[in-house]
Amino acid sequence: MIRGVRTRAHLLALPATLVFAVFSLLPLLSVLRFATWRWSGTTDPLPVGAANLVRLLSDEALWASLGTTALFAAMALPAFLTLSLVIALAIEGVRYERAIKALLFAPGLITVGGSAIAWYLLYNPDFGLIPELTGLVLPWTSQPWAALIYVVLFTLWQQTGYGVLVTSAALRGIPRDVKEAARVDGATEGEVRRLIVLPMLGPTMLFLTIIGTVFSLQSYTAVYLLTRGGPFGSTRVLGYYLYETAFERYQLGYGAAITLFVLVITLVVAYLQARVLARRGASEATT
Amino acid sequence: MIAMRLVTAAFAAFVALPLLWLVYAAFIPAEALVRANLATFGFSLENFAALRGTGLWRAMAVSFTATGLAVAGQLAFGLGAAYAIRNGLRLLALVMLLLALPSELLLVPLYRQLQTMALIDTLGALVVPFLASPLVVFLLLQGLRRVPWEVIEAARLDGAGEVTIVRSVVAPILRPELTASAVLAFAAHWNLVLYPRIMTSEPLWTVQAFLTELLRTRAFEWGLLGAAALVASLPLIVLYVFFEKRIIEVFESGFRS
Repeated sequence: MIRGVRTRAHLLALPATLVFAVFSLLPLLSVLRFATWRWSGTTDPLPVGAANLVRLLSDEALWASLGTTALFAAMALPAFLTLSLVIALAIEGVRYERAIKALLFAPGLITVGGSAIAWYLLYNPDFGLIPELTGLVLPWTSQPWAALIYVVLFTLWQQTGYGVLVTSAALRGIPRDVKEAARVDGATEGEVRRLIVLPMLGPTMLFLTIIGTVFSLQSYTAVYLLTRGGPFGSTRVLGYYLYETAFERYQLGYGAAITLFVLVITLVVAYLQARVLARRGASEATT
Repeated sequence: MIAMRLVTAAFAAFVALPLLWLVYAAFIPAEALVRANLATFGFSLENFAALRGTGLWRAMAVSFTATGLAVAGQLAFGLGAAYAIRNGLRLLALVMLLLALPSELLLVPLYRQLQTMALIDTLGALVVPFLASPLVVFLLLQGLRRVPWEVIEAARLDGAGEVTIVRSVVAPILRPELTASAVLAFAAHWNLVLYPRIMTSEPLWTVQAFLTELLRTRAFEWGLLGAAALVASLPLIVLYVFFEKRIIEVFESGFRS
């Protein structure tokens, strides 16, 4: 009887599993097949073997966009981690903790299109409110370096609340008596933070690093909304190059090959990060 | 510690500014444009009147329909999946894998998938692929750990079927998680930008697809843009103001383990 009940309970997963299988797993696996096609999206696909994969190697725009992505991640990721950690520590137990968390989490939920418009009217170098009022101008419409900074700032604006929440949840998971014991032994607040709290946050920081890297490698909605990859391709991150190739130049077969490329890069980078960071954590624990 | 507080205050101001501006920009008077100066302060409702005929209201209706159906599916199917996993079904690894896989990346193969199913340019394209979400399954599963198993065993001994148990025993206990999941799922679907632009065309455009087009074609009608941005964001602002506490609690407890 127990077995029958279990089977019936398992059946309740069927609808969700079906949706996942058809719209996530199957597409994920069929990228391999689509990558061997020449296909515009509307005509019938034409098998071309490994031509798309060979083209990846000599595609200068692709490698340039990988460089842009790396630059983006190198700017955004350390800032994201530092801000998440600093803010989570600063607001722990403060009266306004909840209000600040609610504020920081809000941009991630509130309409991206609406946010893009608010930023456009606020920071546009020609007529934005901030340049008008303060004279401070970030020339993101014309200067490549400024455009990348602009996209980084928007991303931090949207995502930092998430990092703060995750870090803050981990902070609360640290047992109070461990910190108390250290204080009783005469440790200062700074020492408690440096020697007990920070090491215990290791796994969380690793998690955020990997999530942040995957996000940098794959997401591009912000670029699409703010700069469309420009000026002069300075913000054309990998994901955006993929989108442009597939849906603006209608080369979906080659787009599938780029998807494959992004997936492989993501896996390799995430794996290396996990290994390096886990090893560093282990060696710190033993010394 | 003081330096850390200062950083926090500065960053909070940086986050708050565009949010406040989003609310205010909808009421910019038309003189701002005449004087070519956004720092023209005043209050005007004319921008909302100008929204008529732009297609925004139609896009809102499409978004409400598609997002509503998707959220309903995600809660119902997610609850079933989480319950099955809690009963020993080995599905968690798949859920975690999908959690790390953004739909933005799979647009090309998804396009082909929808094409073979004749879903391109239909309401189905906006709904069917979103009937289940790994994040919702994950959050509900975290909540299920709270449910005392004796309650479920007792209901089974009383002869209740599994569907009945999920609906009338599990669902009421999981109300906080269901509420938070509903808001997060609503926001995630409402905020899709590229997906609806690619998979559907004009009469089926969602608010986001509409907003990006408006920003492209009427880039200098500041008041109109501001009003459209506010209207499109309003459902999420209202939901967030009402359920912010619950969302943050559920989100944090989901990530504590």
